[in-house]
Amino acid sequence: MTIGSMLGDIVNSFFKRPATGRYPFVRTEAPEDLRGKVVWNPETCTGCGLCVKDCPSQALELFTLDKAAKRYVMLYHMDCCTYCAQCEVSCRSKSIYLTNDEWELASTSRTPFEVYYGREEDVQKVLEPEPQGEPDLSPESKTE
Amino acid sequence: MGAEKKPEKFVVSIGPQHPALKEPGHFEFAVEGEIVTSATARLGFVHRGMEKGTESRTWVQNLYLMERVCGICSAVHAMAYAQGVEKLAKVEVPPRARAIRQLIAELERIHSHLLWLGVAAHEGGFDTLFMLSWRDRETVMDLLEAITGNRVNYSANVLGGVKIDIDEVKSAAILKGMDFLEERTRHYMKVVTEDETFLGRTRKIGTMTLEQALRLGSVGPTGRASGVPYDVRVDAPYAAYQDFPVNIVTDTAGDLEARFVVRIKELYESYRVIRELVDHMPAGELTTRIPRRIQEGEVVSRVEAPRGELFYFLKSNGTDMPERIKVRTPSLCNWGSILATAVGHRLADMPMILAGIDPCFSCNDRMILVKRGNDQTVWTWEDLRRYGIEYYK
Amino acid sequence: MNLSLSPLVELLFFPGGLVLLASGLVYEFVDRKLVARFQNRIGPRWFQPLADVIKLLAKEEVIPAGVVKGLFIFLPIVALTSILTAALYVPMFGLKPAFSFPGDLVVTVYLLSLMTLCIGLAGANTEDRFSLVGATRALTQMFSYEAPFLLALLGPAIALGTWNIGQINSAAGNNLWFIIAQPFGFIAAVIGLMGKLELPPFDAPEAETEIVAGALTEYSGRGLALFRIGRDVELVIGLTLIASFYLGGLANPLDFLWKTLILLLVTAALQSLFARLRIDQTVGLWWRIGSIMVLLQLLAVVVGRLIAPLIPFLSSGG
Repeated sequence: MTIGSMLGDIVNSFFKRPATGRYPFVRTEAPEDLRGKVVWNPETCTGCGLCVKDCPSQALELFTLDKAAKRYVMLYHMDCCTYCAQCEVSCRSKSIYLTNDEWELASTSRTPFEVYYGREEDVQKVLEPEPQGEPDLSPESKTE
Repeated sequence: MGAEKKPEKFVVSIGPQHPALKEPGHFEFAVEGEIVTSATARLGFVHRGMEKGTESRTWVQNLYLMERVCGICSAVHAMAYAQGVEKLAKVEVPPRARAIRQLIAELERIHSHLLWLGVAAHEGGFDTLFMLSWRDRETVMDLLEAITGNRVNYSANVLGGVKIDIDEVKSAAILKGMDFLEERTRHYMKVVTEDETFLGRTRKIGTMTLEQALRLGSVGPTGRASGVPYDVRVDAPYAAYQDFPVNIVTDTAGDLEARFVVRIKELYESYRVIRELVDHMPAGELTTRIPRRIQEGEVVSRVEAPRGELFYFLKSNGTDMPERIKVRTPSLCNWGSILATAVGHRLADMPMILAGIDPCFSCNDRMILVKRGNDQTVWTWEDLRRYGIEYYK
Repeated sequence: MNLSLSPLVELLFFPGGLVLLASGLVYEFVDRKLVARFQNRIGPRWFQPLADVIKLLAKEEVIPAGVVKGLFIFLPIVALTSILTAALYVPMFGLKPAFSFPGDLVVTVYLLSLMTLCIGLAGANTEDRFSLVGATRALTQMFSYEAPFLLALLGPAIALGTWNIGQINSAAGNNLWFIIAQPFGFIAAVIGLMGKLELPPFDAPEAETEIVAGALTEYSGRGLALFRIGRDVELVIGLTLIASFYLGGLANPLDFLWKTLILLLVTAALQSLFARLRIDQTVGLWWRIGSIMVLLQLLAVVVGRLIAPLIPFLSSGG
């Protein structure tokens, strides 16, 4: 039976540095294993589409330009991503993985969240399909 | 206002925007002066159609959908689901993965119980305890973030194992965090059992006897505070609880103070078992292969969530999508205890009694359609949507 | 100290009017900051109370259905006016009270409780359940703390033989500090002030987790802003009163500053130290312990005054 049993706490707190921070002005370090933005490597991808199939939030789209030449383009919807790393687990060729640097994801429009990965000319092709022939632009959601 | 229906009673209706819990639930308390004479609850404001949603997603995708049933105890949902699927597929998970699953689950229990401690203190107007317990909770949140990479929905599980490993650096960080938290928790135990003003709000408030608890089917710390000796971790061990057992914590008082005591003692148990896990982590693989198509069958999977027994029923028809998933969350079992104990208390005690079961509103909100006669209708998404719009009109 | 300001300036700017409002906001900020620091938080930045008030003033004032419109609009004004009037009889900022007459202590205490009365009426005026419960609690609480608070202030008044705040203020400085002579009165006065202002742990009338914002739930915009400023100014006045009565009087602005800030530190610590009392606990605490304590104190003072001429030692303290 005591009254004011947190007296020690409040006196301590009064002389201690506040535990809360002024976030946008003072930033903290992210831990090493933080799950941030997904990165895709077009060089090693086999185009199996397992990442697209397993993604629980449909954040990934794979465009197959030329299966024989292994020309693929990945459209990554960062705003849909839940950073669960299932794509990283599913990928057999270790072409897709999560990085730990980009995690402050706030914007007033959706465009910064549409990230295209792939060789530059392939991305151009996906973005402006008209002048070229007619590559298969349907998202590769089915496995081959 | 509810007063129009029963003009002789003064009805205080709280919600759907509840002032205390920041979660949607609607309550109607009939009061005489300050004394509550009857209580009713209406839930279902955050029904999200998840069980139906599972039927159009693959087994792998559903792991992450089920993780989002609850924001606070997300890992146990994923664990219950993953264990169920593994049982269906008759796959044995490696021991190291099981130990890591238990580690994450216990860390989550710590974060959940500390969160509850703060929320309950806030309901009682003890904001200093609220702020300081949440400050200390950051320790375990940071640990979880450092281990899994996410702060809330950890996504540490995959079907057939876990994604993450515990190395030396992380082990050391966990042990250090546990030491700090144990010391703080012992202090909070002293505060909640000795502080006169706080005891005035918790002792002999919301008392539920053992008979009542059994009759109402209370689970988890709510039931254990009334003396129900039931804990899935002890009664039906899963993950690595066989090798790293926990002791069941019960109390006999059944009031709010007992619920504080039980939860804080459970924290001690968690600290102890986490230290053991870290010290004696079995070596070996983290995952095992699991087929994409799960063979036909039905299975029940149970785990002990921080709030009580979490129950999953999974039914597979042999494809890569489940036929039916049924989730019963612990909060739903404990609702009855609030309405039963509320009557006779003061209006000022209602938030505390409500918070006493550690309710998770969105956990509850599942729809049950009672079939009448031989009605064979299967509801489609469109039906559900239309029903939802009608319901909230 | 005895500056000759024209009464109009005194009323509008200093020490009444604008400066008083500003000081209310500053003290609210200090109070919030102190509580935050006690809870190991950073707390608001210095302009936060001002920003809140400006925001509220800029907002539309929604008048809910079922209220007496005139009452709804005028109650905040009456509340703020009564508080600002009360400030005129109190040695604000350590200066001489702007107005003064024998017995102004009673008028001041009455004006201070008008605020609570207005809040209670404002709650009872609406049909909202939270407001009604809040109003009931606010008025119940008023009945429980008003008497001990007044008695606590009467202690020094009786001891010094005057009910004029200005005279008590200057006489208190020449005597032994009343916090030592009448410790129970001081405790009752501080707790009574916290009860008056509905600060935690006596915030049952506006318990946010139970009844949203209590009696003021339906208020928005201008009305809420006026009530808030009123409460802030009441905090300053209350601290000034207690400091001048119990902490050896306020001789100059510096005196005012450090004494009221020390008091504020104490109230902030009390705010963060306890769980909220239920309204029945508040009332019980007051009538069972508070009022008896103060009554005994008062009895001692009266007896002391009667026998003071006989014993020279007592005449200094009361």
